[in-house]
Amino acid sequence: MASKYFGLPLSLLCCLFAFEARAGGSGGRWLEVQFPHDSPVLPVTLSLQEPSPTTAAVRGASLVVDLHASLLLRNTGTKPLSGLTLLVETPDLTPSGRGSVTVPSLHAQPGEVFPVHLDMQISRPLNMGRTKGPMMQVSLDCALFSDLTAYGPDRLSSRRTLMVYELQARRDRRYLSALLQAGKLSTLREELNFGLQDINPAQLAFELLHGTAPPAGNAQPVSVAAVAFPSAPVKPLGGRAQVFGNEMRSSHLEVRNISGRPVKNFEVGWIVRDEHGRDFMAGSVPSTIELAPVETASMTQPGTLRFSHPSGQPMIVDGLLAFVNDVEFADGKLWIPSRADIRQATSDPLLRRVLASSPEQQRLAEIYRHKGMGGLEHELKRMD
Amino acid sequence: MSGPHPAPEVLALAARGDLPFFVRLRLRSHLMRCAVCEHAMTQFAAAAAELRREAATETLTAFEAIADWNRLEREMLGNIVVGVAAARCIENVGRKRRWLSTAAIVTALAALFIGGWMTHIPREETNQLVSKLSHFAGLRNTPRSASVVRTTATGIAVRSHGVTLTILHPSSAVVSVSGNSSVAARYVDEDTGQVTITSVYGQ
Repeated sequence: MASKYFGLPLSLLCCLFAFEARAGGSGGRWLEVQFPHDSPVLPVTLSLQEPSPTTAAVRGASLVVDLHASLLLRNTGTKPLSGLTLLVETPDLTPSGRGSVTVPSLHAQPGEVFPVHLDMQISRPLNMGRTKGPMMQVSLDCALFSDLTAYGPDRLSSRRTLMVYELQARRDRRYLSALLQAGKLSTLREELNFGLQDINPAQLAFELLHGTAPPAGNAQPVSVAAVAFPSAPVKPLGGRAQVFGNEMRSSHLEVRNISGRPVKNFEVGWIVRDEHGRDFMAGSVPSTIELAPVETASMTQPGTLRFSHPSGQPMIVDGLLAFVNDVEFADGKLWIPSRADIRQATSDPLLRRVLASSPEQQRLAEIYRHKGMGGLEHELKRMD
Repeated sequence: MSGPHPAPEVLALAARGDLPFFVRLRLRSHLMRCAVCEHAMTQFAAAAAELRREAATETLTAFEAIADWNRLEREMLGNIVVGVAAARCIENVGRKRRWLSTAAIVTALAALFIGGWMTHIPREETNQLVSKLSHFAGLRNTPRSASVVRTTATGIAVRSHGVTLTILHPSSAVVSVSGNSSVAARYVDEDTGQVTITSVYGQ
């Protein structure tokens, strides 16, 4: 009965929002794209109908907007564009939260036009007052060029991330090109997952919490095993973390700068081992600790990280591995592990695959799956 | 002397005036001639008069008591109050004894519980329980999470104050932690062929 009475007003509200979406035309009411006038990357067109139309609906006591935008950008600069990061903000969430879309390995030549897709969903209570202006704002955070120079406000530290991606991409392309030229096709196929789609990738679901009380029950101290790359300037020495079932808290890691150069910051990768001995790449966490030559320091990760399987079932943390993913020196130069470092770091092929995983490796594997060896060879030559 | 003397009960009845008429005439003629019986008759009459007087006095005293109803009511109420007070005194004496025995049992059980807790429960759990109770009672403010960053079946999301921003991705995306308060998803866009990395950031 209640739904009968409330259904009509809610439907009218829905229609009103849908009308506003259409009335916006270029999406002005929903989405605003802000690029500086002197930006080397500028928007050409914006469509809210691709790949599927933007819609609004009432679900329970919330208004849910499914926003699908296709933004066509042009490299208006004079240098090839290696990658970019777009900052996504919504006034309802600022400053508590925001998002970003990064496209590495672009290799967009000057004047070239390329699309970037934005698929988002915003859920807000119906009783929340309507904010002035568009519901979402998209702006350029950083654009990285092929000479590793960058443009943009870099509010998300995107320049460093894009540089790491670019260095990894160059490393992987060199490695695969060398395999191709040496005729090591079986190794190449193995590196690219034999052209097969990983239908059941080893995935985790996460929840990051801050300021929550520890759960009931005994904390189990878990030691952190270190995976060291031979040429790494910063080596992990080991550490420990407090584990409550599927929650990890207060993880500590001792690191030492074994190089003679001062380190500005570094990033630590974390691998989680479940109760069945399977390894999952949990991710990487940047540290802003500055390290003088041969200095030892301890980094602590605040907050709580809760793990679960994609099905939602909690994943019991049985072990933790840490490795230094990249290092930025005081002079701005970056170090990343080479393929030889990854090969020598472990004899476990699955762990080696986890360590070698990069966006470029994923992209090239997809090209090989769709276009075969010829397509891969063409792409490697194009990017060279 | 005129004939035999009448019986004493005849003289008593005559003193009260309860003899029949002819017996009373014959007794009167005897009394006129017999001083002994006349004297006995006079004594009977005086005793009867005294009895009537006393009876009248006693009757008046009882009537007066009944007629003073307010006084009687006060006395009755006073008796009731005294009775109830006495009953309460007796009851309180029993209750106090029961309370003392209950308190002793509770104290003994509490001491047993505290002793068992201290010897069997780890200190960390005790501190945790105290912390939770303090928070529940409002004695200590635990900082609330400003935002929650998490992965969902369709994307990665950041939620704060009822508003949720979810960046959608295909099911083939690989999700990972990308900072102290951010999560990223990496996938190859089927339409553009570009590898795309989406991230959400909490505070």
